[in-house]
Amino acid sequence: MSVQLSWFVARARRRFAMSRECSLLLPRVCAALADPRQPGSDDTCLEKLLDWFRHLAAFDPTEKLVQDNPCLTEFITSVLALPEPSPSILSFTLRLAGILAASENRFQHLQQEKLLVRLFGRDGPLNSAMWEDASVRSGWVEGVHSMMHHQPALHFLCNGDVIFTLQGDPSLFVASAASQLLVHVLTFSVEAEATKPLSTKDCDWPASAQMIIKHIEDSLQSSSASHIKQSLKLLTSLFGSCHATWTEVLWLGIAKQIESFLTEETVQAQHMLANLLLNMAWSPVFCDTEGSFWALVTSALERLTPVQAGPLAVGILRLYKCPQDVRIQALTVLLQPMDCILRAASQPLEYTGLLDESVSDPITVESLLSSKSSCASLLCQTLAHLEELLSLIRLPVDLPYTSLLRSLITILQFCNGFLSPASPLGSTISRILINCFRVQRSALDVLAALSERKGCDTLIGSLFDVLLAYLESPNTSPTVLKKTFQATSKWLVRLQELSCSNSQWQQTEKILEDVFLVLQKRLCSPCWEVRDSSLEFLTVLIKCLRDQDEFRQSLLSSEVPRLTENLLEDPESYVRASAVTAVGHLAFITYFAPESPVIGNQCNKENTVAKLQEILSTDSEGFPRRAVISIFTKWLRQGCTGQLEDTEQFVSRVIQTVEHDLDWEVRRGGLELVEVFCSQTVCQLGLSECPYAPVSSAVSSSIHQNELLQIFCRAKVFSFLFRSLCDCDKPVGQRACDILLGLRDNFYPVSTLKDSQGTGDSPAGRGIAWLQRTLGQGSLAQNFPTDDGNGVDFQDPESMMIVLGTIDLEELHDELNKSSDHMEKSPQSLLQDILATVGTTEENEADCY
Amino acid sequence: SYLSVFCLGPGAGQDVGRSCILVSIAGKNVMLDCGMHMGYNDDRRFPDFSYITQNGRLTDFLDCVIISHFHLDHCGALPYFSEMVGYDGPIYMTHPTKAICPILLEDYRKITVDKKGETNFFTSQMIKDCMKKVVAVHLHQTVQVDEELEIKAYYAGHVLGAAMFQIKVGCESVVYTGDYNMTPDRHLGAAWIDKCRPDLLISESTYATTIRDSKRCRERDFLKKVHETVERGGKVLIPVFALGRAQELCILLETFWERMNLKAPIYFSTGLTEKANHYYKLFITWTNQKIRKTFVQRNMFEFKHIKAFDRAFADNPGPMVVFATPGMLHAGQSLQIFRKWAGNEKNMVIMPGYCVQGTVGHKILSGQRKLEMEGRQILEVKMQVEYMSFSAHADAKGIMQLIRQAEPRNVLLVHGEAKKMEFLKQKIEQEFHVNCYMPANGETTTIFTNPSIPVDISLGLLKRETAIGLLPDVKKPKLMHGTLIMKDNSFRLVSPEQALKELGLAEHQLRFTCRVHIQDPRKEHETVLRVYNHLKGVLKDYSVQHLPDGSITVESILIQATAHSEDQGTKVLLVSWTYQVGILENILFKHLCS
Repeated sequence: MSVQLSWFVARARRRFAMSRECSLLLPRVCAALADPRQPGSDDTCLEKLLDWFRHLAAFDPTEKLVQDNPCLTEFITSVLALPEPSPSILSFTLRLAGILAASENRFQHLQQEKLLVRLFGRDGPLNSAMWEDASVRSGWVEGVHSMMHHQPALHFLCNGDVIFTLQGDPSLFVASAASQLLVHVLTFSVEAEATKPLSTKDCDWPASAQMIIKHIEDSLQSSSASHIKQSLKLLTSLFGSCHATWTEVLWLGIAKQIESFLTEETVQAQHMLANLLLNMAWSPVFCDTEGSFWALVTSALERLTPVQAGPLAVGILRLYKCPQDVRIQALTVLLQPMDCILRAASQPLEYTGLLDESVSDPITVESLLSSKSSCASLLCQTLAHLEELLSLIRLPVDLPYTSLLRSLITILQFCNGFLSPASPLGSTISRILINCFRVQRSALDVLAALSERKGCDTLIGSLFDVLLAYLESPNTSPTVLKKTFQATSKWLVRLQELSCSNSQWQQTEKILEDVFLVLQKRLCSPCWEVRDSSLEFLTVLIKCLRDQDEFRQSLLSSEVPRLTENLLEDPESYVRASAVTAVGHLAFITYFAPESPVIGNQCNKENTVAKLQEILSTDSEGFPRRAVISIFTKWLRQGCTGQLEDTEQFVSRVIQTVEHDLDWEVRRGGLELVEVFCSQTVCQLGLSECPYAPVSSAVSSSIHQNELLQIFCRAKVFSFLFRSLCDCDKPVGQRACDILLGLRDNFYPVSTLKDSQGTGDSPAGRGIAWLQRTLGQGSLAQNFPTDDGNGVDFQDPESMMIVLGTIDLEELHDELNKSSDHMEKSPQSLLQDILATVGTTEENEADCY
Repeated sequence: SYLSVFCLGPGAGQDVGRSCILVSIAGKNVMLDCGMHMGYNDDRRFPDFSYITQNGRLTDFLDCVIISHFHLDHCGALPYFSEMVGYDGPIYMTHPTKAICPILLEDYRKITVDKKGETNFFTSQMIKDCMKKVVAVHLHQTVQVDEELEIKAYYAGHVLGAAMFQIKVGCESVVYTGDYNMTPDRHLGAAWIDKCRPDLLISESTYATTIRDSKRCRERDFLKKVHETVERGGKVLIPVFALGRAQELCILLETFWERMNLKAPIYFSTGLTEKANHYYKLFITWTNQKIRKTFVQRNMFEFKHIKAFDRAFADNPGPMVVFATPGMLHAGQSLQIFRKWAGNEKNMVIMPGYCVQGTVGHKILSGQRKLEMEGRQILEVKMQVEYMSFSAHADAKGIMQLIRQAEPRNVLLVHGEAKKMEFLKQKIEQEFHVNCYMPANGETTTIFTNPSIPVDISLGLLKRETAIGLLPDVKKPKLMHGTLIMKDNSFRLVSPEQALKELGLAEHQLRFTCRVHIQDPRKEHETVLRVYNHLKGVLKDYSVQHLPDGSITVESILIQATAHSEDQGTKVLLVSWTYQVGILENILFKHLCS
C-alpha cells in the first residue's frame, strides 16, 4: 500500500471510529429508532448511519462491534418484535443486519439468536404484508448482498427463489439490485467454494453457483420472454464484471441457446444480445478465443438492425485485439448510413463510395433513412459513435477520413437545405433532414473531432463554405451555432497549419475575412447565448492563432475588436464576463504585442484597462468581476502589466478593490494575483531562481529581503493576506495561508524558524501575540484588527517580518484544510442530530428549498 | 395505446427529496424536472440516470427535458445531467426560471466548493453552458418540440416563474404540475389551468393532508417576532438562499417598516438583491395583480429600508435585521454572523426554510443549544431560534380544485409521503371517479388510454359511401369501409382501388380451396351433373350455373370434379371460394357433405 493510501485509510479509520461519545449515544439512538411512537427519522439520517456502520464493519471484522454495542442486536430484536414497523425502519434494519453479518464472526454472533433467519428467512418480512413495500424488498436484497462475503452466508442462502422472483420486481431499483446480487453470489460462490479449476470436461459447480446456473439455463429455455430477458441481463453484467476463465465454461453451456435467439428472433431482446456480446468481446476470456464466439458476433452484426448493432459495432472497433473480418463487419455497420448519404446525394456513376459493395447491404439502411421516424435517430446514433471513435487518441482501425468528411458536409447541406439532390432517396432524406437540429449538432461534433485527423485537406474549401453558411444563416439555432463555432475554430487552426506548409495564404485570408465578417454580425445578436458563444469563439481563436500574422491582420482590420469592447457593457452578466476574457486576450495582440500592427489605432489601452478596473469594482455580478481578476492575473503572469503602469501600483490598486468583494471567488482570484506578484518580485530580486520554490539559504541577502518586504508592504500585500486568513469563506483563508507559507520560506530558513517561534512574545508586543492567539485558536469568525487602534501595522516591514516568523502557519494550514463540514460529517454529530429530532413533531422537511 | 410514468426519486420508497420523472407518451420520452437532493454530499444527491435507458445515449432516448421552476430539488441536477452525464437535447423552462435558475445553481455551487473543495461537482462554466441550451417559453404558448410533440406552460404560483406543463402528442396528453399553489400570496397569484382534459394529471402532493394555518397568520407571526426583537434592541438574522423566499420576506418587512415607521436598519448580505429585484421587475407580469397595480405608482421591489450589508456592520451596536446566505447556516456569511450573535439572548435567528442534517441550521432547529464548532470550540446558542415556513404548496383542497379545473382521466400523485397520499387518493377516486396512482420511486406506472385518432377520408370514398346510405349525421357514428393507408405519421381511408393506384400495387385475389370426397362410381361429368341438379334444387336464391368446361359456379364459388387417382369409385370435388362469400360457403358445404 502506498504511503498516501495508508494515510487516507488511517484518517478514515480515525474519522469513523467508534468514539466513547458515540458508544454512549448509540443505545439511545437505537432505542429511539425502534420506538414506533417516534416520528420516522429523516431518510438521509438513516442512510448516513448505514454509511458509518459500513465503515466500522469494514475496518474491523471481529465481533467487537456487536459485543461492545449490544444495543445493535437489541435494536434488531425489538424491530422484529414490532407488529407493524415502519417500512423505512424495517428496510434500515435489514440493511444494517446485512452490513454487520458481512464478517463471519459477526454473522455467527447474530445467528446465535437466529436474528438473520428471522429477518431474511421464510417467516420474516418476505412473507408479511410489509413485503408489499418496495423499500422493504430493496432493504432485503441489499442486506443479503452485504453479507455475502463468506461461506456460512452462502449456505444460509440455500434457496434463491426469492431473488429469482425479485429480478422481475415492479420496482426497477429492486429488480436491478436482485440481478446484481445474483451476479455477486455466482462469482463469489465459484471463487470461494470451487475446489478445483472448472473446465468443460470436469465441471463441478459449487452448490450456490449450480443453483443460479441452472436457473439461467432453465429461463433461457423457457417460453417466457421476461425470464429470458432477465437472464440475458444477468449474463451481461456477469461477463462485464467477472473475467475469470470459468465464465467460458458457463458460456459454452448456453451458447447454442443464445445463438438461437439471434437467428430465430422469437424473443425481442436484440439490444440485450448486443450488450451481452459486447461485454463478452471486452472480456479477455472471450476475445482471445478463436472461432465460434467471433462467428456469433459477426452474425449479430449482420442480423441486427443498424440501430441495434451500432453500440456493438463501436465497442468492437475500440478493441485492439479482434479478428480483422469482424472489424470490417463492424466498420460496415457504422459507415453504411454515411455511405448511403453519399450515394443519395450523387449521380450513380460519379459516386466513389465509402464501402465496398460486396460487404454492404444498403437496402435496410436506405429504408431506415427514408423514413421520417427513423432517419434522424439512425444518423444521430451513427454520428455519436463516430465521434466516440474519433475521440480516441489511437484508433485501432483506419477510417476513410476524406469520404467521411464529404458525407458530413452532405448531411449538413441536407439539414440547411443547400442540397436538393435529384435522386429519389436523396430528395426524401433532404426533406426529412431540413432544419433538423439534432442531426446538425451531432454532425458538427463529428466535424470538430475530424479536424484532428490528417487526410481531409482536399475538401477544406467546401467545408468552410458549409461552416460559413451555418454561421451566417438566421435559421441556425443558438445551440447549433455554438457547435458550428467549435468546429470552425478547430478547422481554422488546421487551415493555418496547412497554409504554413503549402503557402496558400490567399485562401486562408479570404476565409478569415469571411469569418470575422459573420462574427461581427453575431456579436450584435439580440440573443445573449449567441453573443456569448461568439465571444468564447473569439477567445479560443486568439489563444490558438495569435502568433499568426494573417490572423492578427484580419482580426484587427475588422470591426470585431471594437464590438467586443462594446460588449463590456452588455446587460447580460455572462456576456460581460466573456467580453472581459475576450478583451483581455485581444490585448495580447494589440497593447502588449511587441510589434502590434495597429498600435493606438482603434483601441485605447488606458480606456480599456480603466473599463476593466471599473467592472472589477462596480459590476453587480460575480462572473464579470471574476473574469477581470483572472485576466489581470494572466497579464501579470505574462509580464504585460509593466507596460501599463508600475506593477506594484497596479497590484496595490487591484488588491484594494477586491479585498472587500462579496464574492469569495473574486477574493481568491485576488490572492492568485498576489501569489504571482510575490513570486515574480522574489525572482526579480534574485532571492529565488524558480518562481515557486523556496530558497534553501534564505538569508542570502538581507538588503534584498528588506527591499522585498518594503515592496510587499507598499503594495498592501500583507494586509490583504492576513485579513484573508480570517475570511469567512474557507478557500480564501486556505489560499492566503499557502501564499504566506511560501513567502515565509523566503525570509526564514526552516532551521531558524523553530527557535524564533519558541521565544514567546516577540518584540512587537501585544499586537503580534494577539494575532497569533486569534489565528492560532482558529477563531476565524473574529474580525481582524484594523490598522488604526491597537492593531498590527501592516505597512511596517519590520513588524511583518516578525509576524511571519511568529505565527505557526503550519498549524493554521492544517486547521484550515480540515474541511469545514468535518463536524457536520462526524458520526457523533449525526447521532446527536437523530436524538435531537426525537420528540419534535414539527415537520420541516416538507418545505421546499 | 398507453403512457407510462417512472419516478427517479431517491431510494426505493416514496421519499421526497428531488424530483425527476420520466414520462413516455405515444412513443415520446420526456423528463420532467431534474432535481438534486441537498441532504447528501455524494453521488446520491443526483438521480441515477443510468436507469433511464439501458441501451443507447440519453440524448437519443429523451425528446426533451422540462423544468417546472427554479428550486434546486427541481433543477439542481440539470448542469450535471447536461454537462457531465452528456445529455445534449433540448431543455425547456419559462423565461423567469431561465433567468433565476443559474443564480441559485451558482449560489449552491459556491457553497459546495467552499465547504469541501469538491471536484465532482459542476463548474460555473458548466452552469452557463447548460443555460445556453435552454429554450425559454412563455405562458400559454404552444411550443412545438418536434412535429408530433408539443408543450404548453400554465401559471403555477409557488415561486416566480413556476409553471405547470401540458405535454401533448397527437390527442394524448399529460399535465405535470410541478409545485403549485392554489391561493394567491403576497407577491404571486394562484395557479390556473384550462379544462384541457389530459389523459393523466401528475400532481405534487407535498401538503396532501397537512392542514396549515393561513399564510397571512404566519406572516403576522413573523413580523411580530421581528418587531419584538428589534424593539428590545436585539439583532435578527434570517439565513436565506439568494433568491425566492428572500424577496418575499423583503417585501413583507419593507411594507411593515414603512407602516410602523421603524428605523432599525435592514441589510441584505449577498449583493444579489439588485439582481433579484431586477428580475422581479423584469417579470412583473408573473407576480400577482396587487403588485402589478402597485407597480404603476411605485416598484415594490425598490426597497427604501433594505441596504447592502458590509461585514463590518455585524459588530455595530443596536438592533438590525440581516438577510444572509447560505440558508442552512452551513458556511460563509450567515454562519459567521450567527457565531457573533448566538451568545446574546436578545438576538434571534429565523430559519425560513428546510435545513439538511448536519448543518448548524438543522441542529438549532432540532433544539441543540451547545454546538461543537471547528477547533473543538463549543458555541453556546442563547439567541432565540424560530422556524417559519412560508412555502407555498397546494393543500388537499387546492389539489382537488385543480383536478376539477383540468378534468383529467387519471391522476398520479408524486412528491409526497405514501401514508398521506393514500387518504387523498381515495378522496380523488370517490369524487371524480378517476383512477389515482401513487407509485414508489423506481416503479413504472402504465396507464392505458383510448386515443381517438383522426383519419382523413378521400372524397371519392365518402361520396360512394353516402350514395349507398344516409347522409352523415354528427350524432350517429357510421361504419365506413375502405383501405387504411398509414404513411408518414398520417392516416387516410381510401377506396381499395385508389389505394392500389397510389401504392402502385397490382390487385390479387385470395381464394380458399377445399376437397370433398364423394363415393360415386359414375363418370365425372355425371357426378357434376348430379351435384349441379342437387344444388340448383336447394339453393334457389342463388345463381347456380353449369359451365361448358364442366365446372359449376354458385355465385363466385367454383366447383370441379375429378376422379380419385387410386380409387375410381371416389370422386373428388374441388371447391374454391373467395373470403367474401362467408355464409354461402357454409350452406354449400352442408349440402355437399350431406
